[in-house]
Amino acid sequence: MEKFREKFVEEANDLINELEKVLLELESQPNNAELIQQIFRVMHSLKGGSAMFGFNKMDKFTHHLENIYDLIRTNKLAINNDILNITLASVDHLRSLIQEKDDSENTNRVQHDLLLSKILEIINENVMGEENAKTMQPMTPRNKKEHATYYISFKPHPNIFNFGTNPLYLIDELVDLGQAMVFPRFDKLPGIDILEPANCYLYWDIFLATNQGINAISEVFIFADEQCDLTVKKISELNLIEENSFIGIIEKAVQNKQEINIDELVSLTNDLEKIYEKEKETQLQAKITTTADTNISSIRVSSEKLDNLINWVSELVTIQARLSLFAQETETNGLLAISEEVEKISRRLRDDVFSIRLIPIENMLTRFHRLVRELSQNLDKDVVFKTEGTDTELDKNIIEMLSDPLMHIVRNSMDHGIESKADRKKMGKPAKATILLKAFYSGTNVIIQISDDGKGIDPEQIKKHALSKGLIAADVEISKKETLELVFLPGFSTAKQVTKVSGRGVGMDVVKRKIAEIRGEVDLDSEINKGTTITIRLPLTLSIIDGLLVQIGETKFVIPLSSVDKVYEFKHEALLNAVNHLIRTDNNEVAYLNLRKLFEIDGTPPETEHVIVVQYSDVRIGLSVDNIIGQYQAVLKPLGKMYKNQQSISGATILGDGTVALVLDTNKLITQFANSEIKVGG
Amino acid sequence: MGKRILIVDDSESIREVVSFTLENAGHDVLKGVDGQDALKFLDGSNLDLIITDLHMPNMDGIEFIKNVRSKPDYQFVPILFLTTESQTAKKMEAKEAGATGWIIKPFVPEKLLAAIQKVVR
Repeated sequence: MEKFREKFVEEANDLINELEKVLLELESQPNNAELIQQIFRVMHSLKGGSAMFGFNKMDKFTHHLENIYDLIRTNKLAINNDILNITLASVDHLRSLIQEKDDSENTNRVQHDLLLSKILEIINENVMGEENAKTMQPMTPRNKKEHATYYISFKPHPNIFNFGTNPLYLIDELVDLGQAMVFPRFDKLPGIDILEPANCYLYWDIFLATNQGINAISEVFIFADEQCDLTVKKISELNLIEENSFIGIIEKAVQNKQEINIDELVSLTNDLEKIYEKEKETQLQAKITTTADTNISSIRVSSEKLDNLINWVSELVTIQARLSLFAQETETNGLLAISEEVEKISRRLRDDVFSIRLIPIENMLTRFHRLVRELSQNLDKDVVFKTEGTDTELDKNIIEMLSDPLMHIVRNSMDHGIESKADRKKMGKPAKATILLKAFYSGTNVIIQISDDGKGIDPEQIKKHALSKGLIAADVEISKKETLELVFLPGFSTAKQVTKVSGRGVGMDVVKRKIAEIRGEVDLDSEINKGTTITIRLPLTLSIIDGLLVQIGETKFVIPLSSVDKVYEFKHEALLNAVNHLIRTDNNEVAYLNLRKLFEIDGTPPETEHVIVVQYSDVRIGLSVDNIIGQYQAVLKPLGKMYKNQQSISGATILGDGTVALVLDTNKLITQFANSEIKVGG
Repeated sequence: MGKRILIVDDSESIREVVSFTLENAGHDVLKGVDGQDALKFLDGSNLDLIITDLHMPNMDGIEFIKNVRSKPDYQFVPILFLTTESQTAKKMEAKEAGATGWIIKPFVPEKLLAAIQKVVR
């Protein structure tokens, strides 16, 4: 059962995510009956599953929630903002409920009770006096724990067996509803001489204590109601089955073979009724559980297994490179063919395995819809959140690490970027502001852009602010782009006051750092009164780099192919004589960086050197190397802690012959170069 | 004797629990993810029992039951539907569509098997 339970937890997380998504869609199209139907169905599945696998609190909770949408579905209730808010809050609460190991855990008890009471309020307001108030009865808090006692007289018609109904099964089912005392009655049994074996002569008196309500009892007989006489009567609001005096009364009645006098019973039970003790209040714990994110996929594998798989494939790729090299060197007949075959297979294997980790960014967008929706209400701004290219896929790890910085950016846009309703009106802008999240591929990168049509960032203000914080010198001349980039500096926060929304002590510097951790780059562009666009450039995956293997002296380096623009040959002489380290290539002048000097490698360069022109955002620089060995797929291994502060290397890779090559971080190299004009030429 | 039983439910976990229970009891289990999907099993081959959920995407349980009953081969196959105790109206609807009985969710394996015993001889 445990493994099914785990499966259900995963399934439930998917359902909850689906629910959240559909709810947000519903907000923009409240009259879409299909969406309501979908919500109802998802809730129903949640309810069924949670009951099945022992999530009792969740079962009850979704039961009530489902009732609301049942009312909406049947047009007895109209969807409104209150209901949406409560349902969305409930979605969050469900996320924490599903994490509970068992019912004794009291995650957010306060929240649970609060939401439940709000939900019941909505239901009660709308079913007052309705004919189906009866079916709603079990959900009022008073009734949910109480058993009532019922008397059931079940008299099957003699021909009941002809319909394939076995009365004993019906009684079994009845007994399952609670606690019961069943008295079979034999007095209609005829003498053996006239007894018809295929007929039913027995009937039953049943006393049942159940919390399921009278309807549940009638339902047991739904398929047999034409083949029996049935009387169901409630005799007490309490569970009397365990009361000795009650048992005494009915046993006596049955033994004397009398018809049971129900009215008499009811009057007797009145004396027995007493107040039940209150449910013990357990200590309130406002324990916040972090809900685990789940991804949507048809086969579920633990990410640990996936990580292992990827690790082994990485090793395989490494060892395969060694095999290829060995095969080439030994030139053994047949081995080369085999090694090429292995290379082909491991390449496909690698591609396939890595694609397993890729999930569409759509999976994380729901919470942004949510965020924008909630902030719109909090800040009293009218904002639509639009998305484009949501099927763009990224490594699951990257998506997870991306979520926080993106949230921060959106929060910033909402808080600082988008103007108040009044200001927008004054500016003659559309009343509805827009935040657009756009994702698309660019080479081996994925670009995510978040733009708003808010008031933009004023470079003059940024400059002033940076001055006051001592981040720049007073006399320095900087471009607009450089000015805007000041917001990424630690200690820079332009918010005039700390606000509830974005004033959390983290600024854009944290965003930049977080994104750099996943080898991404952030760019900011802004136009006053037009809006701000933040562009994030991300690698598709974290662990493999397509690169150019190059050599300087005896040392080998890998330059990421994604940043390589062009490769040129130059005479060493020409480089030496270059003015200001500028070389002419295809009618362009490009600054070049002497890597040999930068990395302090001894020896003399060959007569003909290669200059690899790499590009990052708008800057192109050339890197001079001795020799280009070829294209190489590097499995990136992190350098140890000791090297974490160096700026030009992103990792290392093991080459086919077992030696180590360093992987250049060209983006950082270029930024460094552009900022400080390192004098390492010639 | 092992029976050939078709279960239809859009929830994978429920499907798994039911089929696990049935297979352990020696039955052959066919699985459909919704009414639409399950129609493919109605190919004229013998079915001893159908167990179906009511709320499903594409084709819900009621529609599915009607579909089953419209096929001459399956007019008499017992159909049990999975339901929760709060859905009286649905039960009547399912009964009218041609269901034989129901199984209340949540259930324990013994109850499931007992319910099946009732309709499969």
